[in-house]
Amino acid sequence: MDHAIAATSLTKRYGRVAAVDDVSFEIAPGEIVGFLGPNGAGKTTTLRMLAGLIRPSRGEGHVLGQRVPGNSLRDVGTMIEEPSFYPYLSGRDNLRHAALLHGGVEPGRIDAMLAFVKMEAAAGKRVRAYSQGMRQRLALARALLWRPRVLLLDEPANGLDPVGIAEIRENLRAVAREGVTVLVSSHILAEIEKLVDRILAIEKGRLVFDGPLERLLARAEALAYRYVLRATDVEALERVLREAGLAPERAGDLVAVEVDAERADALVSDLVQAGVRITEARRESDDLEDAYLRLVQADARPA
Amino acid sequence: MRGFAHVVRAEVFKVLRKRRTYVLAGLWWGLLPALVLFVGRLVHVNFGGTFVDESGGIALVVQEIASPYGIARIALIGPAYVSPTFYMIVAALLAALLIGEERGHAMWKTVLVAQPQRFPVMAGKVSVAMLALGVLMLGAATSGALFGALGTTFLPTTWAGDWTGLAWLYALQWAFCLAAVLFAFLMVFLFKNIALGVVTVFFLQGLLEGLYTLYRATVGFEPVNRLNVLFQALRLQQRLEAIPQYFFTSNLYAPARSPVADLVRAVNTGGGEIPQDALGQLLGAGITLPHAAAVMAGYAVVFGILLFWRFARHDVE
Repeated sequence: MDHAIAATSLTKRYGRVAAVDDVSFEIAPGEIVGFLGPNGAGKTTTLRMLAGLIRPSRGEGHVLGQRVPGNSLRDVGTMIEEPSFYPYLSGRDNLRHAALLHGGVEPGRIDAMLAFVKMEAAAGKRVRAYSQGMRQRLALARALLWRPRVLLLDEPANGLDPVGIAEIRENLRAVAREGVTVLVSSHILAEIEKLVDRILAIEKGRLVFDGPLERLLARAEALAYRYVLRATDVEALERVLREAGLAPERAGDLVAVEVDAERADALVSDLVQAGVRITEARRESDDLEDAYLRLVQADARPA
Repeated sequence: MRGFAHVVRAEVFKVLRKRRTYVLAGLWWGLLPALVLFVGRLVHVNFGGTFVDESGGIALVVQEIASPYGIARIALIGPAYVSPTFYMIVAALLAALLIGEERGHAMWKTVLVAQPQRFPVMAGKVSVAMLALGVLMLGAATSGALFGALGTTFLPTTWAGDWTGLAWLYALQWAFCLAAVLFAFLMVFLFKNIALGVVTVFFLQGLLEGLYTLYRATVGFEPVNRLNVLFQALRLQQRLEAIPQYFFTSNLYAPARSPVADLVRAVNTGGGEIPQDALGQLLGAGITLPHAAAVMAGYAVVFGILLFWRFARHDVE
């Protein structure tokens, strides 16, 4: 078995609309991969196909070397969209039910998982009384219950406050250290950035990027740079930039502007030649969100 | 096979933690026999020793109603005569619990990851519904006998009765309910709204059978004689008029209703056949237990195939 997860031409059509269109990727055992995309891009549909919940219109998914749906899914833990539970059962009983369904877990495992997500105190309460954050943490405990070798996580930090987000991130890091393969989708890009080494980006059902995080950032930089400029005459600076066909954004006495990579080196000298006295010029480094947006915008641009 | 056992264990765990299960048990095991015992006591106190009782028939009536055997038998018969029948209520509520809640609480995505093989999942759930129904029926028979035993202390009743025959009818009725459970599962699974699915379970067969009866009474099937000229061999009219023999309701309750049919046959028709009018159909006229068994097996196969086929192809959105 070479890959923990593999998608081959995975496609899901609803009538004439392709929710996921010819998506292929492979994830090695132990990798932690971020799955990026705006809402409706096809992340959840892809994860559902890999979890055997929906049938692809074309292509196939493999988990741990076996085509899904199949028995290899018994080694998979999932959190897909909103965490769901039987509201009339307690948190502990929901985990017991899942464990029974799976065929049982080792003694003490349920308590260990409740402790792992810091839910021991509330474990006896019915889930209907849980907050969003508690549900999210309980869902993670359930996903880890049978020591899965693969985790498929869809927006695991959705609806959480910053503390909850940090806790989920810490939990996932701990899981990753145990060698579990993780495919985690999110549109909170900052969270992915702190967790993953590799990014899959999907837009309108098509995979638009597959590679290391650094390559995504570099590729976005290659598309455009963002400069922040200060000049003695801000109005003149703005005017010259507009005349050059750029779209300056002014904030106080600073002007931010995005410049194509090929024009970036000449920007400041061009401004000086136009008679603008630049007192400060710095190039902003991208975070993942900027990089991703640029990537998507570039792909959406007509050729 | 292991997947099936896991599903059964998990679903039993869930059913035992649902208040609805105990409400059903309370109604069937407590309220019904208590009511019957109370009616027996009323009959005994108000009519025993009066002019109505000149031939000593009241003691016989009280024995038929409120003896251990009588109450256990009514616990089988009674639920087949209310509308919607208690058997269908139980089937629908179990379907709502075992299938409807998975959709209502978006649990399929959890269940089908913990247990990815779909056939064992559905087979396990159907089996747990049948197990729960069986426990409820067994409990009803037992509590009926116990309430009847209590009645022997203040009523002129004994333990006499055809217990073996009654046990056989309970077993048959339980087996026949497989078709009802599969029908309830299918409806609750097909309808996205659980309440609509449950209402359909209660009334769909009655509605279709009622429409047929209304059409037969008002228009009739004589017009098909014109077609019969062309299709002599098909005997369309006879076939259409024989449809009530295959109605879901009358066949489903054939075991539970057979003691009443036997009683009516013995009392009103001198042992002859019951007329096949509306009342006759309610009593199960013209429907033998082997015929009903074959019909219900057919329904079970059809509903089962539809249910498993739909579930296997279902996309969990």
